[in-house]
Amino acid sequence: MRADPTATVDSRVVYIISQLVPVKPEQILAEHRLREDLGMDSVSSMELLSMLAEELDLDVGVEDIADVHTVGATIALAKTFLAKKGA
Amino acid sequence: MLPRADEELVRPLLAQVSRFALESIDARAIDRASAIPQRVLAGMGELGLFGLTLPEEFGGSGCSLPVACSAVAELARADRSVAVTLGLHLGLGTRGLVALGTRAQHERYLPTLASGNCIAAFATTEPGAGSDLSALQTRALDDGTALVVNGQKIYVTNGGLAGLYTLAVSTPGLGGSARGQSLLLIERGDAGLRVEAEEHKLGLRGSSTTGLSLEEMRLPYSRVLGEAGGGARALGMILSWGRTLMSAGCCGAARVALEKTVAHVAERRQFGKPLAALEVVREQMARLTARAFAMEALVDEVSRESAETLLVRSLAAKVFSSESAWMVVDGAIQLHGGLGFIEDTGLAMMLRDVRITRIFEGANDVLLSHLGAGELLRATARTPLASSLVEGALASAAKDADALAAQVDSLRQSLHARFRVGVFRQPRWLHRLGRACMWREAIDASVRRAIRSGRTDEIAQVALLTQEARVEVAALASEPSARELVEQCLAQALPLPEVRA
Ligand SMILES: Cc1cc2nc3c(=O)[nH]c(=O)nc-3n(C[C@H](O)[C@H](O)[C@H](O)COP(=O)(O)OP(=O)(O)OC[C@H]3O[C@@H](n4cnc5c(N)ncnc54)[C@H](O)[C@@H]3O)c2cc1C
Repeated sequence: MRADPTATVDSRVVYIISQLVPVKPEQILAEHRLREDLGMDSVSSMELLSMLAEELDLDVGVEDIADVHTVGATIALAKTFLAKKGA
Repeated sequence: MLPRADEELVRPLLAQVSRFALESIDARAIDRASAIPQRVLAGMGELGLFGLTLPEEFGGSGCSLPVACSAVAELARADRSVAVTLGLHLGLGTRGLVALGTRAQHERYLPTLASGNCIAAFATTEPGAGSDLSALQTRALDDGTALVVNGQKIYVTNGGLAGLYTLAVSTPGLGGSARGQSLLLIERGDAGLRVEAEEHKLGLRGSSTTGLSLEEMRLPYSRVLGEAGGGARALGMILSWGRTLMSAGCCGAARVALEKTVAHVAERRQFGKPLAALEVVREQMARLTARAFAMEALVDEVSRESAETLLVRSLAAKVFSSESAWMVVDGAIQLHGGLGFIEDTGLAMMLRDVRITRIFEGANDVLLSHLGAGELLRATARTPLASSLVEGALASAAKDADALAAQVDSLRQSLHARFRVGVFRQPRWLHRLGRACMWREAIDASVRRAIRSGRTDEIAQVALLTQEARVEVAALASEPSARELVEQCLAQALPLPEVRA
């Protein structure tokens, strides 16, 4: 199932995360760390960023994701690349 | 090379271990009894082997990882069960405690661990969490006065012998981590711990493997090892030590299988000449020799890495050495003919023993994908090997290694260009890139070792193996069998199961 394309970026990111971890979307907070708070490992957190780029059709490179460790940083990454796409 | 202090220590140590193994270890008897005699464990304790990497302050020898690897490899020549018992104790069993333990934890546990009076074990695997370590169900919940632990661990090496277990468990909420994992120190006598019966195994029969049941176990907070909720990160560091020690055991097993085979093919005559005079046998022997050389070069080099690089390079060492040990022992059996299949020869047991090394400490196929992912995230560039060398066989081997590295790099770049960050959802490509990296690491380490030794046979061994590596990496980089073709093959036997989102 894909994230609702009309939803806000924040809720689309949260929805994608909820597909990967057994946590309800309403319980996922911006300050949550992908590993310690959401129980992702290094592989699933990379997968998340992959899915995000695919869902939102973003041209994100491997070099862009080094510092993304929280839900908030994931949302910020999505917003930055959406803005780039729109520019 | 080992640091001088270690170098000076390691030679007499290996001589002692080798003498001890010759006099005290009967591998066939251990295999038949499915247990290591108490006097062997006591002898290892007297030699100081259980304290090899533990701090001197607490009765250990404070040796580095390469020294411990040398000792484990030496023991593996004699018996893999004994080597695994020690390797697990020095690696997964005590590495976390040494690196992350508090002063009080050190004082409580390290002296008896160093003497061998207490043996260490380590438990992550559960019935529902094997390769997927994020799925741990064993939980420690904070009830305000203590941690209450419930769950089950399986396949715990040293489980039946250990006095101290390091457990990875899920600790929701602990340390402010909503879904974090933590490491806990469990003592054999703790109420609520039940050590299950010994498993009957294909190989490594003398090595103890049991399950653990934890029922309403109440632990004081002082039993948390390292940062509460930070267990997942600590696991990486601990596993990288464990994998490297395990790889060293593979080297010992392969080397002794090869030595036996050299002796056999030299002596055994068929068609009016020794097997060693047959061209096909000679080529097989050259390939086995090259493998054994490369695994030793890689494991030795990796064991001297800093903690950070060890994390990734130990993956390459683990996969390459376990695959190579299997190949070398299998090749040894083949060249022994029917004799190889007979238990008295010792190779059959060795084959059974080494089989698990491709599965435990992380199944190879899982680790290859991690290695591939690590390669994509790698920040530092590789230094070419050929630039520092003049012409000759060595320069040519180094050039070939550089060409192999360029193949790997080109695969990495093409995957990134094609999939961008989406590459992390391409498991088959991550796996292929991981294999390519494994080859590069093995060949690079071998070239560097050959440069140091300057031996023409070693240079030739590297050259032979590099040819094999380049062919395989070229094949890996070509389009993999299309997913559709795979699915068509399995349409009847194994239709793709529904996967819960
Ligand atoms: C003798 C022995 C000693 C052990 N000692 C210990 C110990 O001391 N402590 C401890 O915690 N554990 C220990 N283990 C457990 C061991 O580490 C696990 O068996 C191993 O990690 C694999 O997990 P699994 O058995 O659940 O296999 P699964 O995870 O079920 O995997 C089965 C197979 O599926 C394939 N596979 C799975 N996932 C993937 C993937 N993502 N990509 C590609 N292929 C995949 C692989 O071929 C894998 O071998 C031991 C096991 C044995 C047999």
